[in-house]
Amino acid sequence: MRWLLAGLLFALAVGLAIGTAAIRADNARYRFAVEQLLRDVRDRKVELERLKLQRFESSSPERLAAEHWAHLEAEATRRQEALQ
Amino acid sequence: MKQGELRRVRFAFGALGAVPVFLVGWLGWLQVAQAGELDREGRAPLQLVPATADRQSQRAESVPAPRGTIVDRNGSMLAIDREVYEVRASVVVPKRYRRDVHVFTGWLARLAEDLAKTLVADPELPGRDELRRRHAQRLAGQFARAFRTDALPAAGALPEKHPVVADLLVANGIDVLSVVQALRGFCVRHAYETVTLHFLRSFERAYPDREFTFGLVGHVDTRWESVGHTAKSLVTQGVCGLESFVVLDPSDAQSRSFLNDGTGRSYFQAPFEDVRVPNVLQATLDIELQRIAVRELTAQANAVGKDATASIPKWGALVLVEVATGDVLAAASWHRGDHLPQATAFTPYQSLCEPGSIVKPLVFAYALEAGVLDWSHVYDCRPGGATYREVIAQLGRAKPVRDDHDCADLTPHGIIVNSSNIGASYVGLGLSRDQWRDYMSFYGFGTSLRLNLPHECLGGPNPLSFDPNTSTRGFRANSAISFSFGYELGVSAMHLARAYLRMLRGKGAELRLCRGVEIGGRWYDAPSAAGSGPRFRRDVVEAVTEAMADVVSDDPHATGHHVHARMLKELGIDLHRVIAGKTGTAASRVGIPGRGSVNVRNASFVGLLPVESPRWLAVCVLQKDDSALFYGGSYAAPPAVRLLLRCQELEGRRQLRQESQSGSGGQARATSGSPGDSGWSPGASEKQR
Repeated sequence: MRWLLAGLLFALAVGLAIGTAAIRADNARYRFAVEQLLRDVRDRKVELERLKLQRFESSSPERLAAEHWAHLEAEATRRQEALQ
Repeated sequence: MKQGELRRVRFAFGALGAVPVFLVGWLGWLQVAQAGELDREGRAPLQLVPATADRQSQRAESVPAPRGTIVDRNGSMLAIDREVYEVRASVVVPKRYRRDVHVFTGWLARLAEDLAKTLVADPELPGRDELRRRHAQRLAGQFARAFRTDALPAAGALPEKHPVVADLLVANGIDVLSVVQALRGFCVRHAYETVTLHFLRSFERAYPDREFTFGLVGHVDTRWESVGHTAKSLVTQGVCGLESFVVLDPSDAQSRSFLNDGTGRSYFQAPFEDVRVPNVLQATLDIELQRIAVRELTAQANAVGKDATASIPKWGALVLVEVATGDVLAAASWHRGDHLPQATAFTPYQSLCEPGSIVKPLVFAYALEAGVLDWSHVYDCRPGGATYREVIAQLGRAKPVRDDHDCADLTPHGIIVNSSNIGASYVGLGLSRDQWRDYMSFYGFGTSLRLNLPHECLGGPNPLSFDPNTSTRGFRANSAISFSFGYELGVSAMHLARAYLRMLRGKGAELRLCRGVEIGGRWYDAPSAAGSGPRFRRDVVEAVTEAMADVVSDDPHATGHHVHARMLKELGIDLHRVIAGKTGTAASRVGIPGRGSVNVRNASFVGLLPVESPRWLAVCVLQKDDSALFYGGSYAAPPAVRLLLRCQELEGRRQLRQESQSGSGGQARATSGSPGDSGWSPGASEKQR
């Protein structure tokens, strides 16, 4: 009986050790997955900042005027070609 | 317990007891027998110390702190931090590619080519092929240096102890998602098991409206630099202008710890404990006025060249200042030619000229305050008249004093309106040498603007003027007379603006470029020096301002009559008593590298708006490098006047806007469409004000 109890206790200890290790490993796996997700979010944040600044710069009066002028020139060229 | 059982128990416990004995033996083998290090093929021996164990299981990511945001007085972005990646590669050449030189170099060439292709993964990138070629060339060069391929034989086996491991920069400033994602999957996609790419977080400084603000906002250049073999640190180089303010110093970089799993992959241990909110520096500039200033100055400078009688100027400067605070609202720089503006001198504080008659109101205000000038006295300003012969000619001055047009009897008011050099000389001769020295000190000529601007030119009086070896008679014959109408003196446009600010607001007045800063959500006002120190009496300032008001009138002898007529014609505005001003025209000889000493002409104008209690002052200076006629009233006045009028118009429009947005309180804040997180928290700012 004593040996049976000792065996059961040993099995319990081993089971606990394996369970703990499994949970820890699972935690590590999840943390890694979360880190990957965080990394992807950060990558998109970098892209977002770039695009925001790009839009901000392209909407300055000078650039809008330059774009408008380029558009007018292209349109004038197109019409001139159409006339010829 | 039976004998057999006892034996089995002893055996089991004996076996268990052997485990620690084995561990102790193994420890002794590693720590003692192997002398604390493990040999590794192709690499330095591994030191068996606790730090090695820590290094293998932990990793720290160093995150630079953002510098902060610079906004204009209305909250528009002038400079901002943009997060980017710096990508570095840890490269270990696999064992199977180390046998032969051809195989070794071939593998490196393939890696460089694959990395180059990945770096141009952005489908919207123009000229991808050319860029890919350049990246491949650059990376091949880096690999060649890191793996010393030039020291390899043409063929045969790879020499022993030849480097097969390297850490090198792949690219910095990576911010395009498609490129980042392509680099993230690079090693798996191309099956490079021994290559690891590290994505180091970094910031890149972005300057919207750079072409308008470069001279005052300044610039910064920050790079990762290697310290020792493995460590890296952020080094900031070439900081100037507003960027050099201490509040924008990113000294407290953060770091974040990671743990490595069994395969060496990192996973995060903890988020940042305290994410730093970037500081915000509010500049005094008004980006709208700055744009107008640049446009007006450029248009005027180019327009001068279109006139057949005049050639195009060499450089120009236009400065707008708020009188109550000394805030620099706009400062524009212009140069002849197709030079990149950032590569030329920023003229408002880096280009000097002799100011000419523009300083007469300053001289008269000082003389009136000092009690050496009677405002009702009538001076005989006839060239070669009795007074001239008695006061000026007898001094033995080499150059005679002349006026642009002949004048007769004039009061000080009339001298300013007619800009009579002879009349100004009489006033100047009334000041002693010490008083002239004090005049220079009062108006700050020759002293720094104290704005922490790079390569600021100080100018100042001719060193001989106050040299002890120069006699008093010589000083009176030359310097005292020349100073009276703005010669023997070098100034920049911003120095002139400060001098007029001091005439209006006192000796302690200084120009200001920073209105305040927000640190950690708390707003701190930058002190304004305007209105401090000794100042002129009210009647002195009013008398001079009244005279300046009559300069811009339809009086044909007034030097500002040309701009008066032009604005009346172009804008339909009668400027008389709307804008007070003073013109300046000077002919000098300056040394120009490669051209020797050449004649230059400086046209300048200072304008005050409104005439009573001026709120804004503008200074414009244009310099031509020939001797053709070039007058301040015709050439420098129009852009300054237009800028002042636009400033008033904008102010009126903003007031209307604020009134219609009841409750906003007119608080300056970042525009909603502005990029990134400026850290600007209006709530906190309002509380602190």
